[in-house]
Amino acid sequence: MPDVFVNKPKKSKSQHPNVTKHKRLKGLEKHALPGHTKNPLAAYCYFPDHVNFVGADNEEKIILLLRRHPITNLGWIVTSMLLITTPIVLLLFGFLSGIPQDFLLVGLLFWYLITFAFTLEQFLSWFFNVYIITDERIFDVDFVNLVYREITDANLDQIQDVTVRVGSVIRTLFDFGDVNIQTAAAVAEIDFEAVPSPDRVAQVLRELRVEEEIEKIEGRVR
Amino acid sequence: MPGFAELSSGLDFIFKAVVSVAFVFYIIFAFVIVKQVTKMTDTLEVGLEGLLKALAWLHFLTAIGAFAVAFLVL
Repeated sequence: MPDVFVNKPKKSKSQHPNVTKHKRLKGLEKHALPGHTKNPLAAYCYFPDHVNFVGADNEEKIILLLRRHPITNLGWIVTSMLLITTPIVLLLFGFLSGIPQDFLLVGLLFWYLITFAFTLEQFLSWFFNVYIITDERIFDVDFVNLVYREITDANLDQIQDVTVRVGSVIRTLFDFGDVNIQTAAAVAEIDFEAVPSPDRVAQVLRELRVEEEIEKIEGRVR
Repeated sequence: MPGFAELSSGLDFIFKAVVSVAFVFYIIFAFVIVKQVTKMTDTLEVGLEGLLKALAWLHFLTAIGAFAVAFLVL
């Protein structure tokens, strides 16, 4: 007997990227995935192209590259703007008219050098402090200051608990927050601070952990 | 007792010396930034490495240029 009514297959409303399936996609197909971008300044990049870092295995696939949300840069951007405009305003209103021209020139050169260094340092700090999720491990790359570098990593199967924290109005508005990862590794906690779409990050981690467990059961662990 | 002109030239000399020392320290700091950017780009390749290295070198060379200007002008 023919069917009188057949339900249409439901489309999944989940935002969840289905990492296991996406891992099998070839190069160009990955470009169409939601969250993938070629923008090197992106704070959330799903299956990023051309990313390489110290300590990565050849077979390791990078699933997510994360940085602090761009809105967290607002503070130093405003400070830089103020540093740039202050001497111009002072000159326009004649506050610096009493200073000899030679001293003024050298003073301005020094001021703008420091401003440039400050801006560059802040940008570098944002750009290079990244969080990386591969199909085997998670990495927290920290450049604390000019001379101090810290790279923390933990295997996916060492992850014990993932907590997502989205605390303030601004964080809710711009959809960013902290992802706190408790591990059984030497470093007990890895914090992904102020990353965009923290729920999606947690989902990716959850999926990768499930996949890792299946690999363990099937004996496919690298 | 030193005259006003001698005192003034003495102060000028001290000021020039202080500015020169400050610029020398700044040049060292600018060089540290160059080394730091190199270290960062070696640690992590995510794009923009060339641009960032160029900016760090530009900053370093500008610091040397500013030191030269300060030395000549003051």
